[in-house]
Amino acid sequence: MIKLLKCEFMKTRRKYIFLTAIIITAAGLIWGLHGEYSGFFQKNGWMVFLYQLPLINAIFMPIMSIIISSRLADIEHKGIMFKQLAAISEKGRIFDAKFIYGISIVLLCCLLNWITVIIFGYVNDFAGDVPIKLYLLFLLFTIIPTIAVYIFQHTIAMLFKNQAVTFFSGIIGTFLGLFSMFLPQIPLMRKLFIWGYYGVLQFVGLFGWTKEMRYDSAYFEVMNIDWTFFTVLLIISIAMYIIGRYLFSRKEV
Amino acid sequence: MLLRLLKSERMKLKRSPVWIAFLIMPIIPALLGSLNYMGNSEILTSEWYSLWTQHTLFTCYFFLPIMIGVYCSYIMRIEHNNNNWNKILTTPVSKPMIFISKLITVSRMILISEIWIAILFLISGYAVGISSAPPYQSVIIWCLLGALGGIVMASIQLFFSIYIKSFALPVGIAFAGGLSGLVFLAKGFGHVWPYSLMAYGMNSNSPQQMISSEYAQFAVICVAYILIVTIISSIVLSKKDI
Repeated sequence: MIKLLKCEFMKTRRKYIFLTAIIITAAGLIWGLHGEYSGFFQKNGWMVFLYQLPLINAIFMPIMSIIISSRLADIEHKGIMFKQLAAISEKGRIFDAKFIYGISIVLLCCLLNWITVIIFGYVNDFAGDVPIKLYLLFLLFTIIPTIAVYIFQHTIAMLFKNQAVTFFSGIIGTFLGLFSMFLPQIPLMRKLFIWGYYGVLQFVGLFGWTKEMRYDSAYFEVMNIDWTFFTVLLIISIAMYIIGRYLFSRKEV
Repeated sequence: MLLRLLKSERMKLKRSPVWIAFLIMPIIPALLGSLNYMGNSEILTSEWYSLWTQHTLFTCYFFLPIMIGVYCSYIMRIEHNNNNWNKILTTPVSKPMIFISKLITVSRMILISEIWIAILFLISGYAVGISSAPPYQSVIIWCLLGALGGIVMASIQLFFSIYIKSFALPVGIAFAGGLSGLVFLAKGFGHVWPYSLMAYGMNSNSPQQMISSEYAQFAVICVAYILIVTIISSIVLSKKDI
């Protein structure tokens, strides 16, 4: 496996895959963090991020997953290299190696994103210390849906030669996930699609905001965490991986 | 010659399932945007106009630019694969025509998407029970201007896809372009930045709104962009070893 991973690294040299991921992360951060932090937003800065960043993640993390998984799989599709790879290693192991390599890049970016947010909070002098327990939960709730989405994208990218299929399925999923976050009146909607789980696992809510009073009486509150659906997502992810690996192993490449 | 090229483009795309995505994608904002409209009908009081923003907001900034990027990548990839550029560039066909035929193929898809968005919008409006008459004229203008802005985006994406052999990278550029479009609209430069033109033309609740006297100026800017990119791309196709 180490050899296969090293092989992946060699194949992607000078392809700027990590740089692509960093640029997408930076774009997400610029969008998520820009704004003036004074008054209400400085006082509640840490909670503001926990409230608004899941939405930003729901756009940027799936798109990063689509691009990274597609680029890694496309190297082989383009050169018709799967045949050769399958002759030197078991197909399931190739699937694993590509997954580990790709998800490591994506998760590293998740971590980078998280650290930058905390540093940004300190630089902007947010009131109080960072609620580290909540931020660790936030990191977990960013990582798990991202892994689920990555598994889906990785499977599609490996199975289909036509990478347009990978992109379109991912974009439509991201769109569904994003829209489901704007429909709190239909909670089932976001639970139906893996892309909606950034919203399902959002645990900070804004209350008391009105059109007239604006933020005068607004406050943030930690809500109940939906551990049941967190477990459901874990099970879905494992099942998707097993099915994807099986399908790829059975496929004529 | 152009007609023959268009026919050959159509043959290359035969049985390719890419068009299905352009039909499915607008259904999502139509369904969910309408649900959101119904849920917030006390805030969204401008009836058809509020519903239009619900339908087109994310579509213009993120999803349609990415879809255009994927389609352009796909069309160019056919030529990148199996040394097809060598074959197509040695045929007795002028280089600008090759680019134009590909641009027309993408433009047709963009126009179909816009018409489909308009049809879904009108159906949704009646379905959510808006009693006033739909602003037919505005919808037609928004969709036509949106398509024109989309063609500008497509021409630039096609240009990138000539240069970049990777499938995903131009799509990443389209995504970044869509985001930059949002920024330029917020700064008041939406009428000149190529990636803002589609959202600006479609009037999708952008911070910068277009008034009817600006329609001609908008069209001139779009056509100018398309012409410039077509000329540059034709020069690239003639001079560069791709």
